[in-house]
Amino acid sequence: MGALGEHVVLLSLVAIIVFFGLISESFFSLTTVSTLVNQLPALTVVAIGMTLVLISGAIDLSVGSVLALSAGVIGACIAVFGLPLPLAALVGIVAGGLAGFTNGALGAYLRLPIFIVTLGMLEVARGLAYLATDSQTVYLGASIQGFALPIGSTGISAAFATALLLVIAFDFILKSTIFGRQIVAVGSNESAAEVSGIDPRQVRCTVLVISGLLAGLAGLMNASYLGSADPNAGVGLELSAIAAAVIGGTSLMGGRGSVSGAFLGVLIVSVLQIGLAQIGVTEPMKRVITGAVIIMAVILDRWRAP
Amino acid sequence: MRIVAEGICKSFSNQVLHEVDLAIPAGSIHGLVGENGAGKSTLAKIIAGLMQADAGTLHLDDAPYSPPSAAEALRAGVAICTQELSLVDDLSVSDNILLATSTVKLARIDRRAADARASTLLDLVGLRDVAPRTRVRSLSLAEKQLVEIAKVLATDAKLLILDEPTSALTGPQADRLHAILRDRAIAGACVIYISHRLSDVLDICDEVTVLRDGRVRLALPSERLDEKTLIREMAGADADFNARRRTSKQLADARLTVENLRTAALSHPISFACKRGEILGIAGLAGAGRSELLRTVFGLDRRIGGSVRIDADGIATEVRTPRQAIRCGAGFVAEDRAGDGVFPAQALKFNITVAGLGRIADRAGRLVRSQERSAVLKLLKDLRVKSDGVDQKMRELSGGNQQKSLLARWLHCESRLLLLDEPTRGIDVAAKLAVHEELVRLRDAGMSIVAVSSEVEELQSLCDRILVLSKGKLVAEFQPGNWSQEAILAAAFSEYVQEPQGLKQAHGSA
Repeated sequence: MGALGEHVVLLSLVAIIVFFGLISESFFSLTTVSTLVNQLPALTVVAIGMTLVLISGAIDLSVGSVLALSAGVIGACIAVFGLPLPLAALVGIVAGGLAGFTNGALGAYLRLPIFIVTLGMLEVARGLAYLATDSQTVYLGASIQGFALPIGSTGISAAFATALLLVIAFDFILKSTIFGRQIVAVGSNESAAEVSGIDPRQVRCTVLVISGLLAGLAGLMNASYLGSADPNAGVGLELSAIAAAVIGGTSLMGGRGSVSGAFLGVLIVSVLQIGLAQIGVTEPMKRVITGAVIIMAVILDRWRAP
Repeated sequence: MRIVAEGICKSFSNQVLHEVDLAIPAGSIHGLVGENGAGKSTLAKIIAGLMQADAGTLHLDDAPYSPPSAAEALRAGVAICTQELSLVDDLSVSDNILLATSTVKLARIDRRAADARASTLLDLVGLRDVAPRTRVRSLSLAEKQLVEIAKVLATDAKLLILDEPTSALTGPQADRLHAILRDRAIAGACVIYISHRLSDVLDICDEVTVLRDGRVRLALPSERLDEKTLIREMAGADADFNARRRTSKQLADARLTVENLRTAALSHPISFACKRGEILGIAGLAGAGRSELLRTVFGLDRRIGGSVRIDADGIATEVRTPRQAIRCGAGFVAEDRAGDGVFPAQALKFNITVAGLGRIADRAGRLVRSQERSAVLKLLKDLRVKSDGVDQKMRELSGGNQQKSLLARWLHCESRLLLLDEPTRGIDVAAKLAVHEELVRLRDAGMSIVAVSSEVEELQSLCDRILVLSKGKLVAEFQPGNWSQEAILAAAFSEYVQEPQGLKQAHGSA
C-alpha cells in the first residue's frame, strides 16, 4: 500500500462529493452532515476491526450480528436488570469481545476455517440478540442518546469523536508498533512468520477479539443513535465493512491494508449512499451502483498492486 | 515397447540435464540412480510428458515421441508414478484409479465395474484389507504409495516409470512390487525404476544407468555392477577439498546440545552438539530426516522425546518453540525460501527486522523508523546485498540476495547459532561463493552454524565436521581428515542398502 494508493482513494472521494454537489442542490447542507455523522461511527469502528482481521489473513462475517448482540445485551442490562448506563455499555462491549474470542479460539487455535466459524457466529449472535431483547426493539430512553447527539453546536457527537480517535489509534498501531508488524507478517506469510518467532494463532486470535470488541462498541453506538436496542440492527454490515476495507486498499488475501484507507472507504460508501438517496435514486438502483463501485475498487487495486 | 532417448537437455536456472542418452529394450527393467539433484526425476518427468526437454529426441518403438502433456504420454502408453503422490485425498481409492484411466469425460460411471477393477488392483499390490470405497485421506503413507502404484498399473501402459516407488514401503511390500514389475516386463513392457535402494536396483534391474550432475556416467548390465561401483560413480572422483581446509579456533564448550531427540521422521534417538565457532554439516539423502532434524531443533516440528538445549549467556536453556529458540540466540533459514522464509510482498526492511522487532522499538513497543533504517542499511552493506534500498520489495531481489537478507534477519537479532537448511539452494555459483564466504567469516567471529546440504562437496568445503543421517538415523560422523565423498555417500545409503533382500523368496513362492 503505497502513498499513491491512498491518494487515489482520496481523489475518488472528492470526485464523488463534487459530483453530488453539482447534481443535488441540497447536498451541501446540514442535513447531509448530520446524517453522515449519525451513520458513520458504527460502520467506522467495525471497518477498523475488519481491516485488521483481513490483513492478518482471516475474515470476520459475524460483525453485524455481534453489533446487534451487544445492543441487545445493553438493552437487557438497562431494561431488565436496571444497571447504570456505563456498566451496561461495558457489558455489551465485553459480550462482543467474547464473541470475537470464540471466533479466535475456534478459527486460530483449533484451525477451523474462519469463514465458516464466523458464518456460524453470524447466526448464533443474531439468535442471542433476539433472545436478549425477546425479539422486540427495547426502548432505552434519552440518556443513552447523549453519546450520539452532537455536542453543543459543533455538530460532532461523542460517538463520532470516539470513532475518529480509534481510526487514528489503530492506524498508528498497524503502521508503527511491533503488534502491527506482526499482523502484517502473519497475513503475508504465516510459515515465515512462525519461523520469525511470531505465534500466528495468538496474533489472529487477538485480532478477532479486537474485531469483536469494536463490533460491541458499534452496538453501543447503534443503540444510542436509535435510543433503543434493535435486534435487527446491523444486518449486512459485514459486507459494508469488507467493502470499505477493500476500497481503502486492504487485500482480501492478507498482508496488506491500512486503517486510514479503510476510513476513506467508509466515507466513500456512506457519501455514496446519502448522495444517491438525495438525487432520488431508488433503493434497488442504489445497491447496483454501490456493488459496482466495490468491484471497480478491486479492479483499481489489482492495477496498482499486481 | 522400446524407448530410446538421445541428447536430452534441460535447464531451469542452471542446466540439470546435459545430452543424456538412454536406450531401453522391450521387456526390460532399467534402473536409474544418482545423488539428489543428479537429474533422475527431471529425466523421468520429460519422458512422461510432465516437462518438455530443451533439446534432444525421444523415440517409442522407432516412432518419434515428444509428449506435450502427461495425458498425451498416457495415450502413447507411458505412465509415471512420481515421487510426489498425485492422489485426490477426498475421493475414494476406486475413484482415484478411475480418474487415472478413464478417457471419456461424460460417460456415466459404472460404479460396480470400477470397484471390481480397483479391488483386483488392490489385491495385486497387496492391499487386500483396503475397500475400494475407502477415502484416500484415511490411508497411511505406505498405503497411499501402493494406491499410486495401483493407479499406474491400471493404465496398462507399456512403459512404466516409477520414481522412488518404495520410499515408504516395507521390505515385503517392496518385494511384491518388484515381482509385479518382473511380470510386466516378461509380458513385454518396459520399466524405468528410480530408487535410492541400490541393492533393490541391482536385484531387479537388467541394466542400470548412473547419472551425475545431469550427465550419464555409466550404463551397464546389473551383473557387471555392485553397490560400491554405483556409489563411486554417483559421487565422482574425489576432489582434494581437504587441502583447502582452514584452521579454525574452536572453543570447547557446546552452544547447541541435542540429546536423544526423537520425532515422527527420526526413528532413532539422535544426540549431537555444535560448538562455538564451528560449522557442523549434516549430510544425507532426501527424506533421510535432515530438514526435520533442523526444524525440530528450532521448535517448529513436534518432538516425541529428548532434549534440545541452547547456551544463552552461559546457561544451557531447554527450547521448545521458535520464540524460545530465538530468545536463546538461534536463527533458522528454511529450505523452502518462498514458503518458510521471505515475505515476498513486503519491503526489505520488514523482512530483515521481523524476527527482532524489539531491537528497533522503544519500551512502549513503538517502532523507531530511523533506528530501523540505519540497522538495515548497515546489514545490507555488511552482507553486500544488492538492492535499491531498504524499501524495495523482497520479491524483486535475486535468489542469492534474498538468501543473504535471510541471514541478515538473524544477524539483526545477533543470533549466535544459525540452523541453515540448504543455504545455497537455487542460487548461482557466484552468490553461492559469497554466502560461503560470509558463513566462514561469521564462524571465525564465533558463530555456531549447523548446515544441511544435499551437496557433499559443499559440506566438505564449508564444514568443520559432518554428520550423516540415513533413513532417520544418525549413522556416521566425519572429521576433515577422514572424509571422502565416497565414504559420506556410502554412509548416507547405509540404512537403505541393508533392506532385507527377500525378492528371490517372493519369486519362489509366487
